[in-house]
Amino acid sequence: MDWFNRPDVAVVVENAPLRVSELSAIIECLLDNPLLQDILVRGEVTNYTHHSRGHRYFSLSEKGGGNTAAVIKCVMWRSDADRLSFNPSEGMEIIVTGTVRAYAPHGSYQLQVKEMRKAGVGEKFLLIEQWKKQLAIEGCFSLERKRVLPAFPARIGVVTSETGAVIHDIRTVVGRRYPLEIIISPTAVQGEEAHQEIACAITRLAGKVDVVIIARGGGSFEDLFPFNHPDVVRAIVACPVPVVSAIGHEVDITLSDLAADLRAATPSAAAELVVPDRMVLTARLQELKSRLNTALKDRVATAQDELCDLRDRLRPQRFYRKIEERKQNIADLSERLERSFSNRLVHERLILAEMKTALDSRSPVAVLSRGFCVAEKNGAIVRSAGTIEKGDSMKIRFYDGSSQVVVERVDHERNL
Amino acid sequence: MKETYETKIEQLRQIIEKIDDGNTGLDESMMLYEQGAVLVKQCEVLLTEAELKITTLSRDA
Repeated sequence: MDWFNRPDVAVVVENAPLRVSELSAIIECLLDNPLLQDILVRGEVTNYTHHSRGHRYFSLSEKGGGNTAAVIKCVMWRSDADRLSFNPSEGMEIIVTGTVRAYAPHGSYQLQVKEMRKAGVGEKFLLIEQWKKQLAIEGCFSLERKRVLPAFPARIGVVTSETGAVIHDIRTVVGRRYPLEIIISPTAVQGEEAHQEIACAITRLAGKVDVVIIARGGGSFEDLFPFNHPDVVRAIVACPVPVVSAIGHEVDITLSDLAADLRAATPSAAAELVVPDRMVLTARLQELKSRLNTALKDRVATAQDELCDLRDRLRPQRFYRKIEERKQNIADLSERLERSFSNRLVHERLILAEMKTALDSRSPVAVLSRGFCVAEKNGAIVRSAGTIEKGDSMKIRFYDGSSQVVVERVDHERNL
Repeated sequence: MKETYETKIEQLRQIIEKIDDGNTGLDESMMLYEQGAVLVKQCEVLLTEAELKITTLSRDA
């Protein structure tokens, strides 16, 4: 209810009491102040309760001169409490981030806590925030920078401690999925100077590998602290090949994780991201192999179909047509031959008739019909009496027949 | 694993596509098939002969 902008009403009910809910609403309004939103508060944990539903209730106290100087009730809802990397306990010095809210049912105000960390690490946390801002300005975390991992790396580099479970896990996974060359770039992974060593270990791998894994097992906030250092982040950004990070547990996100091209929950998961699975590759290769075989079989089948088709097209139509054409040709030729032959025959007959007439006029038959006859001996015409003698058998040809005679006597002209 | 595994697989894919393409002649298809068979063999060798090798760099380098 708006009391203040309705003076006419206010006059009428000048001394009317506020209802409690109205007072609560006013207090809530007053608390809705930027000074009380998303603030950092440091104090000691007291009256800590871990509720069965996962919410955490406690008070933050500050001691002064033997007595408690100040206290504020705090609540951390389960959704935020689930992200805690440690269990708060009585007397622990912590720094929280939260917002002050009134809680009308209890008539109290409380700090709703979003994040909590141990006070000892407070300075470091602030440092990380500063680094994060600076490195973000430099573009170290920009998504455009993220590179795709090589599908088939030849060598992988691992920046981690030489000893410990991390390198063992990576070796096991790589050996199982796809054995290849692992180049370990050893480094300390915690301690005051660790960030320099880690950065050097990353830089040392340049040009030697196709992908880099930066890994560290789980540890406290302080243990993981070197991985937030700008030296390490810049070394990751400068790395010429993609970098996969697996630092601490999944809930611990370091600046290195933000700068890496890909973040894995564990070192084993990082190894799985980096190398392909040989079984999968083999299966794919087999599939390609059978596709290759099928492709050729299909191609040959197509060729056979084409061939059959061509053969069919060649046989009945074109071939028979050619034969018909030739038959026609032959018929034409034969007709021409006949015609020219019969012409020639007529011509020859004419010549023959002429020749017959000519011949007839010179025929010996004509001579014979005038009373002459021809003597032949052994098929040859007897022209002289000298060629015959007594007893020879001769044929005498007349114009209308012939007779066979035997020579009785030969008279030679000179003997007469 | 060599970088060439990736290229070999890619070549293999292209060969299959080419054979599948009806415009490729039969003679060429057979030639491509032979090339493809060689690539498959090489890839199988690459997969089966892979070996785990661990090298540790010196910290002084």
